[in-house]
Amino acid sequence: MDVPTFFLFGVNIIRFMIDLMIAFALYLVVSLSLNLEAGFAGVPNFGKVMFVAAGAVVAGSVSGRLAAFILGVNTHGNYNGFIAQIITQLDSSLSGNAVLSIEILLLGVLLAAAIGASLGFLTSYPAIRLREDYLGMLLLASAQLFQIFLGGYEALIGGTQGIEVPNLFGWAGNGIEVRDVVVLGFLALFAGLVYFYAERVARSPLGRTLRAVRDNEVAARALGKDDVAIRRNVIIIASAISAMAGALLTFYVGAVNAESWTRITWTFWIWVMLIIGGAANNAGVALGAFSFTFLFKVVDQVKFYFQGSIPFDVNWLEYLMFASLLILILAFRPGGILPEKSSVTLPWRTVAEIMGPKSKARSSSGPQFGTPERAKGDPDEPSSAPTT
Amino acid sequence: MVSQYVLDAVVYASLFGLMAVGLTLTYLTTKVPNFAYGSFVTIGGYTSFSVFRINHVNPYFAVPLAFLLGAVVSVAMYLGVLRTLARRGSSLVALMISTLAIDIAFVGIFGIYSDYIGSYYRIENTKNFFRLLADFSLFGLPGLFYVTPISLATITIALFLFLTRTKFGVAMRASVENPSLARVLGIDVERAYIFAWFLAGGFAATAGSFSVLWLQGGTTFGSGLIVEIFAASVLGGLASVYGAALGGLIIGATEILLTQTGIAVFGSWISIYQKGFPLLIMVITLLLFPRGLVSINWHRIIRPIAVFVGLIGNRLGEIFRFVRGE
Repeated sequence: MDVPTFFLFGVNIIRFMIDLMIAFALYLVVSLSLNLEAGFAGVPNFGKVMFVAAGAVVAGSVSGRLAAFILGVNTHGNYNGFIAQIITQLDSSLSGNAVLSIEILLLGVLLAAAIGASLGFLTSYPAIRLREDYLGMLLLASAQLFQIFLGGYEALIGGTQGIEVPNLFGWAGNGIEVRDVVVLGFLALFAGLVYFYAERVARSPLGRTLRAVRDNEVAARALGKDDVAIRRNVIIIASAISAMAGALLTFYVGAVNAESWTRITWTFWIWVMLIIGGAANNAGVALGAFSFTFLFKVVDQVKFYFQGSIPFDVNWLEYLMFASLLILILAFRPGGILPEKSSVTLPWRTVAEIMGPKSKARSSSGPQFGTPERAKGDPDEPSSAPTT
Repeated sequence: MVSQYVLDAVVYASLFGLMAVGLTLTYLTTKVPNFAYGSFVTIGGYTSFSVFRINHVNPYFAVPLAFLLGAVVSVAMYLGVLRTLARRGSSLVALMISTLAIDIAFVGIFGIYSDYIGSYYRIENTKNFFRLLADFSLFGLPGLFYVTPISLATITIALFLFLTRTKFGVAMRASVENPSLARVLGIDVERAYIFAWFLAGGFAATAGSFSVLWLQGGTTFGSGLIVEIFAASVLGGLASVYGAALGGLIIGATEILLTQTGIAVFGSWISIYQKGFPLLIMVITLLLFPRGLVSINWHRIIRPIAVFVGLIGNRLGEIFRFVRGE
């Protein structure tokens, strides 16, 4: 079974779309989680790569061993040493067992979430105590160390050489593209859930509390908000989400190594998406993630036409391009394409309706809150009536 | 004969001291942690590399060129990006992201440069190269063993003299401590900041041009040193260039000595955690004395010890006199 092909400009558009959407779904999830931390809660996470990589490590090291244990594959006590042999056996068993594959997938993702959450909990300790600049330095340095550690500690994911990961989508068919469509389905579901969650948070009292804590910690505290607990919880949740994305990426790619988890790929690019789209606006971040992914994939296709004519690797231009784009956005449109909107509350009329019976009861005792005539005329009333 | 790890410790310590002094200078003026700082080290590294591999000149002669290149690029970054953004009212986080963006742009530029010289001059391994074997040796020891500590000492003393004995230096300290008051007194604060960035870029590139004689180089080797550079500056308190020099010395020396001791005791697997030591020191600093070494009231720590030692000495003296029968 194969996915139909359709060529445009010499590129298989359907293949291109599948790749694009898979990358978009993953980037969307991670950038939404960064948006929760940096956009809404004001915790600038410059070590994002560490949390995504933590999920990938779980997927790469634990799920394969788990599958081998369940299926009774002999690991000779040295999983990484016999990796090729073990993976071949696992893949052939798993391709006929969809239920077990999905169970291992879900377990891996949940475990990644747990590890990510623990890492987030650890991070929250400095994050709620340090100023933004010190925190930035600490997280950037920690992420660098984590990458060095992954490269050096080969028992985990085979260091820079990397190891293979069992194919948990083998049941979907042998054609690579059919498998990719199935993966895309999973990722789209996951990304949709995360988007739904992020949007719910943004529109809830919690979202407004987060912004209050971000904009004026002292005032939020004076209103009885526990800013420390709120920040800690947001970091934990965002880290868990990033780790899940890392695990899913690893299951999709089918291999993992330490080289791919750099400051550029999973910290800087994510920040680019956040800034382009607009921090503290989920729709903006989604737009930013899509624009970035689209540009990235198109440049990926186009650059090979130039490869022969210039004396260097075209990939370097990508770095320059996105770095300049980011700085230009920061200079000329600091809010991003879709800047943060004021908090969505109930429409004025609804508030008046809810307040209705009470205000009638108190109508004899002078002016009350929420009556339309008063809202128009009185200069003391808040001038910006919230809109939906 | 001096053992290898003492050499390593001395060279590392001096190099990180140099780098931390520069980073602290940029932090003092703009109050933004410069994530692109590591790339200035790389600029120095590539200057040495190019001069050595293309022109076959000893890399030591590249140091002035490296200093100038790093300094000019650093000023360009300050004027072109950071000051522009700051004047447009960017937040601290936005400025931090912009320095991260500059770091990524630098990686791109180094990549283009290394590909270009690789194909044009037919040089191999331009993107990742082993240390350059061009160091001289004096009394049987590598030249860097002398050059780096002397450079750090010279630069620290020169900075001290500059900041305390010259008018411009005093003006610079005033601009850092209270910019608005300094402006009222007619000090050109901008000029002082530009000069600070000039020195900072220069110091980083100087350290970079030395370090490729000792360490592996490549497009991201400077960015990889950011752990140690930040740790050293934080340990120094980010507010004092002398603290930074001291922080760099401590970070470099402890990293090498602890790692070597660890390898001797536990085995070679410890070397993966080499950069863990500076990070650990950074975390401890941030938790216990976030304003760094210079903020510790040494008087309060040393005096009780001194008093205690004095008391013991007195008592020992009494015992001694008693024994002699006086």
